[in-house]
Amino acid sequence: MTLKVKNLVGGYSAVPVLKDVNFDIKDGELVGLIGLNGAGKSTTINHIIGLLQPFSGSIAINETTIDQDVKKYKGQIAYIPESPIVYKELTLKEHLEMTMLAYDLDLDKAWERANKLLTTFRLDNKLDWFPDNFSKGMRQKVMIVCAFLTDAKLFIIDEPFLGLDPLAVNDLLDLITERKKQGASILMSTHVLDTAQRYCDRFVLLHDGQVRTEGTLSELKAEFPEAGDSLNDIYLSLARQGGRK
Amino acid sequence: MTDLFKKRLSSHLAEMLKYLRLVFTDYFVLAILFMIGAVGYYYSQNLNRLQMHIWWAPIVATIYFVLVSQLGRLATLVADPDAVFLLPREAEMPAYFMRGFRYSIILAEVIQIVLWFVSIPFLQRTLGFGQIDFGALLVAVIATKVFWLLGDVIRKFRLSSFGFEKRVVHRFCLPLLIFAVIFWGNSVVGAAGAIFLLAIFAVLVRNINNHPVVNWHIAIDDENSRMHSLYTFFNLFTDVPMIQSTVKRRRYLDIITDRIQLKSKNSFLFLYAHGLSRDTEMSGLFIRLTVLGAVVLAFIKNGWLPIVLPLVFIYLIGFQLIPFYFHFDDNAFVHIYPFDNRNQVVSFQKVILMMLIFVAVIMAVVVTIVNFNNLATVGILIVLEAVEIWLFVYGYLPRRINKSINSRN
Repeated sequence: MTLKVKNLVGGYSAVPVLKDVNFDIKDGELVGLIGLNGAGKSTTINHIIGLLQPFSGSIAINETTIDQDVKKYKGQIAYIPESPIVYKELTLKEHLEMTMLAYDLDLDKAWERANKLLTTFRLDNKLDWFPDNFSKGMRQKVMIVCAFLTDAKLFIIDEPFLGLDPLAVNDLLDLITERKKQGASILMSTHVLDTAQRYCDRFVLLHDGQVRTEGTLSELKAEFPEAGDSLNDIYLSLARQGGRK
Repeated sequence: MTDLFKKRLSSHLAEMLKYLRLVFTDYFVLAILFMIGAVGYYYSQNLNRLQMHIWWAPIVATIYFVLVSQLGRLATLVADPDAVFLLPREAEMPAYFMRGFRYSIILAEVIQIVLWFVSIPFLQRTLGFGQIDFGALLVAVIATKVFWLLGDVIRKFRLSSFGFEKRVVHRFCLPLLIFAVIFWGNSVVGAAGAIFLLAIFAVLVRNINNHPVVNWHIAIDDENSRMHSLYTFFNLFTDVPMIQSTVKRRRYLDIITDRIQLKSKNSFLFLYAHGLSRDTEMSGLFIRLTVLGAVVLAFIKNGWLPIVLPLVFIYLIGFQLIPFYFHFDDNAFVHIYPFDNRNQVVSFQKVILMMLIFVAVIMAVVVTIVNFNNLATVGILIVLEAVEIWLFVYGYLPRRINKSINSRN
């Protein structure tokens, strides 16, 4: 059990956005976090990576909570934010070095991996450029390369497909599959449902700060037989119902 | 992590140096020297008129030292991406922030000591402070600044510290308490209290090592707002690309902006009027200086100051508004839409004219109320205000804008 979110209540100010969220991710599993804008996807993610403090409930990664051991907890996470945030004054090469330094990576191995990733995402000739001047898609690629440079046990990927070219989307999905096979867990929030349907093992459907339902596609189909066959159909019919049970 | 801080510090210092060279031009240095001289002269002249045990001396001294203790902020040099990139290194962030503390403390304490020194003649004359008092005061001033900065370090961690992490407590309440004790009670007791508080903060700051969960939102917001105020200052002298301000709706100003006719020639008028009324950066400067000027004038009666000060304030306010001319340059629409750019300067002049007239009227009203017995002063002031505004808006402003445009190309 890599990630376990239990009775999570939380949000940015005193008003809770998340009301009693429960779900987990097992080793080697890719879980899709699905929900409308404002459903609480990014808030959930911000709680997991420790940017926000839960009002109540707990989040554990491999049985460690942030309060027990910050270093161990955070060292297991790699995070790709929804909108790429890069250092204005650092080059692409320095961003990679920053990641290696932060995760204490073995430099030779890390550079080997980095060069492979850079070639995949066609950034290998831009090492001395400033990512701050890149397009959104290119900056997103920088964040992806940095995250997959690490040996994290839990990858948290917030809406990765926006602005990426189709080739990069494909390469990212390959990377995710590869890491999954190696035993890493991945939590991915997205609106691109047909991709999610093809790649995710399970889905957590958030609505209005609560887990509306969760399970594999066949479990969802069994739960809502009249809704349709694809994740898209099931999700649309649930969203239109406004999350009513 | 400490290497990271060192690296950032050296690039930060290089950046500051670049801007400081632009700030301290010959003219500005001359102006500052002149101002220090004028303030010093005024201070020494008025010292002779003060008597022992004036009732307001402890109040002024307390306020002075609480304000002095606010000078010199904690530089942490964290940046937005740190929340992502330094995620796995959070356990080492206490050491990082303490580097920031050690760097910040030097300048902060130099400022404290200089301003402590400045207060000596005043305190000697009005409160009869002796050597022991001054010694105790110096200890309190230094210790207060240390725990003020430590409080700011603690604040960046997600740790309950009995409320000491709250800014209003460590920045304001505790310093106020200490200086109130010194100036109303006993200076040695006050100094001992400051040392005691310092000890508490020293213990609290060790706690963060045991539970180093960084509150990134606060840490990053704090540093961004510190850098923002630095950049705002530099922005008065040169263009700073990092300045981004926030916007407030301010519905009540719609009465003014709605009067602008929606015609092509008014395009820039429309933009400038809406921009200046909603941009918190500019309107903040405008309101602060206007209120400050009005308050200062409310206390000054007779002599030449009620005439000179409004003129100085009008110039200062107008001068600070000038960079707003370029506010919309980064907006693609300004370049895409079929605007007539000749109207840009004229529109800007119109808006600035309105704003300066507003200031002039307020200042004139305050001066009139205070100097009701001396209407000659009021008359001279109104005439000079009108002349100044006319010269500023139609003489200085276009020249200054042209100069800026040329230096940009």
